Order: sequence, then C-alpha cells, then structure tokens
Amino acid sequence: MAAMPPTLPYLGEFEYAVLLAVMQLGEDAYAVPMRELIEGRTGRPVARGALYTALERLEAKGCLRSRMGDPTPERGGRARRYFAVSPLGLRALRSTHTAFARLSQGLEALLEES
Amino acid sequence: MPPAPPPGAEHLLRAAVRDPEWRDAVLGDLAEEYARVGQRFGAHRARRWYWRQALAIATRVSAARLLPGSASRRPWRTPALDVEPGVRLTWLSDARYALRALGARPSLSAAIVVTLALALAANATVFSLADALYLRPFRFAGVDRLVVVSSASERDPLADRSSVAPADYRDWVRESTMLSDFAAAEFWDPNLSDVDVPEQLAGFRVSPGFFRALRTEPLLGRTFLDEEAAPGRNRRVVLSHAFWTRRFGADPAVVGRSVRLNGEPHEVVGVMRPGPSVPYGAEVWAPLAYTDEEWRERARGFLLVLARLGEGRTLGSARAEMNAIVARQRHQFPDTHARRDISVVSFTRGMSDGGTGPFLGVWQAAAVLLLLIACANIANLLMARGTERQHEFAVRLALGARRWRLALQVMIEGAWLAAFSIIVALPLAAMGVEGLRRGLPTSVIRWVAGYEFLKLDVAVLLMTAALGAAATLFFSLLPALQASRAAVSDTLRQGGRTTTVSRSRRWVGTALAAGQVALTLALVVGSALILGAVDNAVNGVVGFDKQRVMTARLTLADGPYADQEPRRQFVARVLERLQSMPAIESLGAVSFLPYAGNSSNRPIYPEGVELTAAEVRPADLQRTTPGYFATLRIPVLEGRGLSDADRANGRQVAVVSRSFADRYWPGQSPLGRRFKIAPDAPWLEVVGVSGDILHDWFMNQRRPTFYRPLGQDAGLTLAFVVRTTGNPTDVAGELRRAISSADPDQPVQELLPMEQVMADKVGGINYLAKALAAMGGIALVLALMGIYSLVAYLAARRTQEIGVRIALGATRWQVIRLNVHQALVITGLGLTMGTALALVLGRVMAATLYGLVSLEWLPVAIMTAVLGLTALAAGFLPARRAAALDPTDALRTS
Repeated sequence: MAAMPPTLPYLGEFEYAVLLAVMQLGEDAYAVPMRELIEGRTGRPVARGALYTALERLEAKGCLRSRMGDPTPERGGRARRYFAVSPLGLRALRSTHTAFARLSQGLEALLEES
Repeated sequence: MPPAPPPGAEHLLRAAVRDPEWRDAVLGDLAEEYARVGQRFGAHRARRWYWRQALAIATRVSAARLLPGSASRRPWRTPALDVEPGVRLTWLSDARYALRALGARPSLSAAIVVTLALALAANATVFSLADALYLRPFRFAGVDRLVVVSSASERDPLADRSSVAPADYRDWVRESTMLSDFAAAEFWDPNLSDVDVPEQLAGFRVSPGFFRALRTEPLLGRTFLDEEAAPGRNRRVVLSHAFWTRRFGADPAVVGRSVRLNGEPHEVVGVMRPGPSVPYGAEVWAPLAYTDEEWRERARGFLLVLARLGEGRTLGSARAEMNAIVARQRHQFPDTHARRDISVVSFTRGMSDGGTGPFLGVWQAAAVLLLLIACANIANLLMARGTERQHEFAVRLALGARRWRLALQVMIEGAWLAAFSIIVALPLAAMGVEGLRRGLPTSVIRWVAGYEFLKLDVAVLLMTAALGAAATLFFSLLPALQASRAAVSDTLRQGGRTTTVSRSRRWVGTALAAGQVALTLALVVGSALILGAVDNAVNGVVGFDKQRVMTARLTLADGPYADQEPRRQFVARVLERLQSMPAIESLGAVSFLPYAGNSSNRPIYPEGVELTAAEVRPADLQRTTPGYFATLRIPVLEGRGLSDADRANGRQVAVVSRSFADRYWPGQSPLGRRFKIAPDAPWLEVVGVSGDILHDWFMNQRRPTFYRPLGQDAGLTLAFVVRTTGNPTDVAGELRRAISSADPDQPVQELLPMEQVMADKVGGINYLAKALAAMGGIALVLALMGIYSLVAYLAARRTQEIGVRIALGATRWQVIRLNVHQALVITGLGLTMGTALALVLGRVMAATLYGLVSLEWLPVAIMTAVLGLTALAAGFLPARRAAALDPTDALRTS
C-alpha cells in the first residue's frame, strides 16, 4: 500500500479487472462485452450485479466516466451506457499495476507460465 | 423484433434499480443478452435465465444500497430507503426496546433461546439428511430428465428396479417414442486379481449408450463403442474416478493397460470424471455383451434400464406409453408376461432406496414434533411473562399506545429470540450433521446415494431460518393477542398487586402444557417402538446362534469357475485347510449368509399338484455344505441334514425349512415328498426339515427356504461360516489365508463376525432409533420444564390467596392439593391425547416401516405410566414449596 500516493483511490482486485476491461474495449466498453471479456480472459465467472455495482462504485470514485449511447430496437429501445477510464482512473491503474510489478520483481521465473 | 423478456422480472429490476439512466442500461443489457440466450437455448430456458439474472442483480444492487457503512460504495444515486422516516424510526425503536426487554430477564431469554435452538438444530440436522439422501441425492446436469424404467410395480416401494428382461428392453428401445437414449445395466461385481491384494469391485455391465444417456464424458480415453457390445470384443473396462485414484494413484498411463477381472484380461479404455458414480457407486463398467440368444430372454428380468425423456415429453406421457406397450406384451406373451408390471419413475426416485423416504419421514416428523413441543413451552413462558407485564402494557395503553403496537412489540421480541436461536442452532446443527456422517456404517455408504452431499448448505440454512420464523409466529401469537387485549382500567385499579390468573389464561396455559405432554408421549412411544424393533432384529429369536461365528463372504469369478466342479474343489480346499484347527469347532459354507442382504429364489412345483403359471410361488434357495446347520446351530427337526454322501450323480435331495413344509404339505410329513424348481427340472426329494431362520431382518418374516447340497448344486456366491471356541476374530487371519491358498486370485468381499454382520445391517435403523430416543429425552425434559414452570407460576400468582387460606387455618395438604390440581389436569389431559396420538403414530410407523415395527401395548402403557408420574412430580414440587409459605410473609408481599 505504501507505493500508492494517498490521494489515489484504492483499487480492489475486481475493480482493477474492470478498469483493464474498459481500456481493452475502448469505444465499445459497455457491460455486456465487459463481462464476456473478463470471463474469457480470466476464466472467473462474473455476476452481472457485481459488475454493475463495481462500475457504479468506480464512477463514484472518479475512476470512470460514462455516457449514454443511442437507443436500439434489439435492446427494447433502451440505450447503452458506455464507459471510459478517467485520468484519475488511469493513474490509479498505473499505481496498482506498479505496486504489483514491484512486489513480483525477481520472481518472474517462478510466476511466468511456460 | 426479439421476444420481450418476462414482464415480472423487468418490474423487479425497475424496482431495484432506481436511477433512470442505470435502469435503461441494465434492462437494455439484459434484453440484448436475452435475445442471444433465446436463440441458443429456446424461449423457455431464456425466460428462466432472465429471472435468475434479474433476481441476482436485484439482490446484489439492493444489498449494496442497504449495507450499512458503505456510503461511499452505494451505487446509483438514490435516497437511502423508500420508507417514511417516521415509520422507520418507530420500527427501529421497537426493535431496540424489545432487545432491552429481553435483556431485562436474561435467564428466561437464555432458556427460551437454548430450547428453541435445540429444536431448530434437530430439524436442520434431519433436514440436511433428508435433502442429501432423499430430496436431491443426485446433482448432475440433466438428472431431472432421466427416468428409470422397470418391470416392478409402481406402488411397491421396495421393488427391485433391476428387473427388465433383455427382450423387453429391446422392444422398448424400438417402440417407445416418448423416451430416448435408452441404456441398460446389469450388476457385475468382478474380482480384480493379478495385484498384491485381490479385491471384489463394485461394477456394472452397461450398454454402449449408457454414458451418453447420463450425459457424462470420460476424463481420459473413451467410453464404449457400439461394436464392443458383442461377446468376444467386450473385454474393455472404464474406471470410475474414485477407483482410478485409489487403486492406480490417478496415473493417466493406465489407459490402454490391461487389468485382470474375473480371471480375464480387460483393456482399460477410459476413466470417468469425478462425481456421482452411477449406478450404485460403480467402480468399473464393462460393455453389456449378450449373444442373440441371450437377448431373446423374456422370462427372467435383471436389467436396470435408464432412459431420457424426449424433448417436451413428460413423465406422465412416458408412463402412459410404456403402459400401453406392456399391455400389448401381456397379450402377446401370456406365458411370461401375464402378470408383468411396468413402472416409469424419476431417476432420483428409482435409484434411491425405497426405504429411505419413510425412514427419513419418521425422523423428520419426530424433529417437527420436538419443535412443536419447544414452541408450546416457549409460548407458555412468554405468556407467563406477559401476565407480569400487564401493568406495563396497561400504562402504555393509557398513555396512548395503540393495541396493535403492543402486539407488534411482543412479536418483535419473539423475532429477536428466534434470530438468536438460529445463531445458536447453526453450530449445533453442524455438529449434528458431522455426527451423522461419522455414524453411517461404511458398509452401507455405497448404497446411500447423495451421502457426499451430507453437509450444512444453503438449503438447510434457509430451512432453519424458515422454521425459526414459523416458530416465532407460533409461540408469540398467543402472548401477542394477550398483550393486545390488556384491560386498562381493571389492571391499573389493581395497582399491580398479585392476583389469581384469569380463567381463560389458565386454560390456555394448561392446554399448551397438556399438548406438550401429549406430543412427548407420542415421541417417546415412537422411539421405544423402534428401539424395540432394532433390539428384536439383533437380539430377538432369529433361529440360529450368532455367537462365536466368523464369516467370510466372496463371489467366485464366472470365468475360471464357470463349471460346478472347480467351485466344489475350491470350497473343499478351504474347508480342508481349516478343519484341523483346534480353535474351530465346526465350519461350513452357504450361498447366502443370513442378514447379509442377498438371497435367491426359485419357483416351486410340488409333485402331484397342477399349478398354473400364476399360482407358482417362489421359495429361497440355499446351497450349503453339511456342516452349515451345525455351525449356525440351525436345528434339524425331522429326517436328516445334508451329508457328504449327497453327490452330483446320486439322488437329488433337499432339506426344507419348517415354513416350506407347512406351505406345501400342511399337516403331513414332507419326508420323501418331491418338488421341482422348473417344469423341466429333475425332481428333488425332501430328506429333512430344518428350523426356520430369519434371513432378512427387514421383512421380519420366516421365508420358506430349501437347502441343496453344494455337492449337487454349487453357485458362485459363497459365504464361509466358522464356529470358534474363543473370540471369532482370532481365526480371521486363518480364514483369509485358507481362501487365498485355495486360490491366490480370489478376493474376500467381507470378513466379519456374524454378530457384526447383523449389527451392520441394522446400523441405519439403529441410528434412527437412537436419534429418536435422544429427541424423546429432550422433549421429556422440555415438557417437565413446562409443567413445572406453569405450576410454579400459577402458585406464585396466588401467593396472597394462599397466605389468606393458611392464615384462616387451611392445612398444608389442602394448599398442596389446590396447586397440584393444575398438574393433575395437565397430566390427565396430556396423557389422554398423547395415548391417542401415540397409537396413531404407532399404526403409521407399523405401516410405513414394512412390518419392522409392531405396535405393542406394553411399551405404550409403560411410557404412559412413567410420563404420568414424572409429570405429576414436576407439578408437585412447586406446589409443595408454595404450601411451605409463612402466611405473614405471603400477605406482606407486594
């Protein structure tokens, strides 16, 4: 924890994954593909409710920004809520990533999967 | 335009997600995925899917919103609670007030919590057992579409499901349209040899489609190919995950290797995934390979048949179709099918033991009775307390409180008590479940489907919480009514002085206590009946002497022992080696050991009687050596026993049991009479009559049996019995060595003293009896507590009256009588209701537990007397104390 400046919000493991997924998806970052991406790449099941609450939480922390898209008929005339990582979110991501990277320094041989 | 998601689920989501933008996003996301799920899995499953998601999301979102201390994490900008602040405050203050009120009487509250917790724990424990073994013993995908088809009656709960004739099976596969993926399995417990310790495995021969019907895939290798279901090409075997791990250390290289089963090499073609091993904990499976002639067998049925309901078909439609098919077969094959039955039952019902349901039912009923007793007890305690609080309630009413608020107050106190009780009950229930797990004899676990699910899980927790809530309603309703009826002016005018309790209040209390006594009597009698039955099964008259007898059970492999001669030689070699041991008094061999759970029967055609196919009745067949009767001390009543002179080429003889003789030749000597076991079989001459023995504890019947000499008829199933001069286990090693020296590849299935064989068999029911006795004991304590506290309470309320009476010259006895009167009424009422209840319960148990339990008057009478006396004593103690009052003290109180 010491590696993180105190002004940055702390990211839980799942929040970390959600932020990465938002960045990976870029323009297309809404809940449905986000869930599929996290499940697909980590092999861990993601409850929809958990994803929504995490998105809301991250937005409240200022790590994410959201906008509503256009309503489409396949969604019963409802709009998508798209997300993008805010500058604060990016800094939080970096610091979390760096913290883990430093902790794992010298252990690459053990941790990398062959 | 895609189909609309279920509107109810959408409403739920709308209610849960308050922010309009978020609501759109969530509903839209789900609508998008709903369309995809619908395309892949169909509308029905998509709707179910949508409901699951909606519930999960709503729960998660609401939890995140309501969770205290997570203000910063609260999703979706919404006001905290959709309740008027004023109302919410009252609720909160009521709850706090109730908690304080409970804290003011800690010992009373603790007594209630412990009482309720015990009853809840008993229920949770039993329910976890019922859930694992009866409600959901099989938990794999698609199990709800699987059915078991058998030629046994639908109504017979003990029916043997492995009862389908091969030719019938083939007809059904061809003709049924409602059922698909038919699969057949036949019992095949092969002997594994060519290893350091040979052993008998639990196994099945299965048709190639068996694993497909179950929708299971192998972990390694493959399952069986269609062409392997042919004689000569069927030396293949698939291993269960558990067996593979236990015997081969989970070595993947085992696939392709050869193992020796029943003396023949079998190639291991696959290993199944971990999980339930169907059927009956199978360790190995081999292909079912019949010759065309074997497939034409229509008279004898022995296949276990599984099938899968076709898309959109129901159990009812499949049943109707199978009934029609069999109705036609009855006409087509009148010789064999005249009385053939058919049943189509769910996989869960078909594969679980028929006795499990009633067995667990009795247990669960007892646990519920215990809970009722506890609730009655608590209601009485709370009402006693409510009477004390009449003054408090009156003051609050006078100050403007609403009556329903006072009732609510009492209910909230009840809810707190229930909540605490649930918390206390959970560790108790965990202990109970652990005890159950340990208590089950290992020998029966193979037959107990769902044993692995025996643990405290969500279902059990929900059940406990629901019962706790129901109990709260039950025991706080009366006190709440009482509170809401408090009469303001009367109560206040009395100024809180002690008074006699109102007549109606006293009657309610009496009725509750009497109800406790009644339920307790029923429970105690029920457990006494079962204990008696268990005792009778183990220690009762069984017709043989179980003491100092060692037994070894085994099954010879049908490969090397296909002919009679090697079987005889094997038995002779084993007996010969043991014969000379000084520790052994006598010894013999028999095909089916009494109480071991298996038997075999044959139709009997006595000489001189014309029987139609429908009139032929079967009798048990035993093949024995001459020493068997002496070893188990089964008396020979008439004629002679079997002898070594009864050889294969000599006169074919049999010894029959008393009940056999009485059935076919009542009132006459059966000696010299003859019978056949098939119309074209040779005559067997009766040379002796033996005493009846109890072969199967569960049926509790003396079954007509005939004994054939092993010299004339030798089977593959064998049990050696050895009567010892000392401790039977002392010869266990020698017995095992004798068997392995006769055939080093021959595994021993079970090596146990006869007494242990019998104890194991009644293990389950014995366990039930002990658990019931424990619950009966708890119930007894609760009921006595109830009577004691009620009488003590009533006496305390009459302190002043008693003081006046004593001051006016009433004798001590008169005062005692005054108070004991109540105890008398309670006991009398309770015993009357209880006896009636116990008799009904006894009848029900006698009916559901298949003649195991018989309703006898003596235990009922003894229990009634014991309960009556202790109940009176419980009432007498507080009454005597009340009579010892000093009148001046009594009048000065308050």
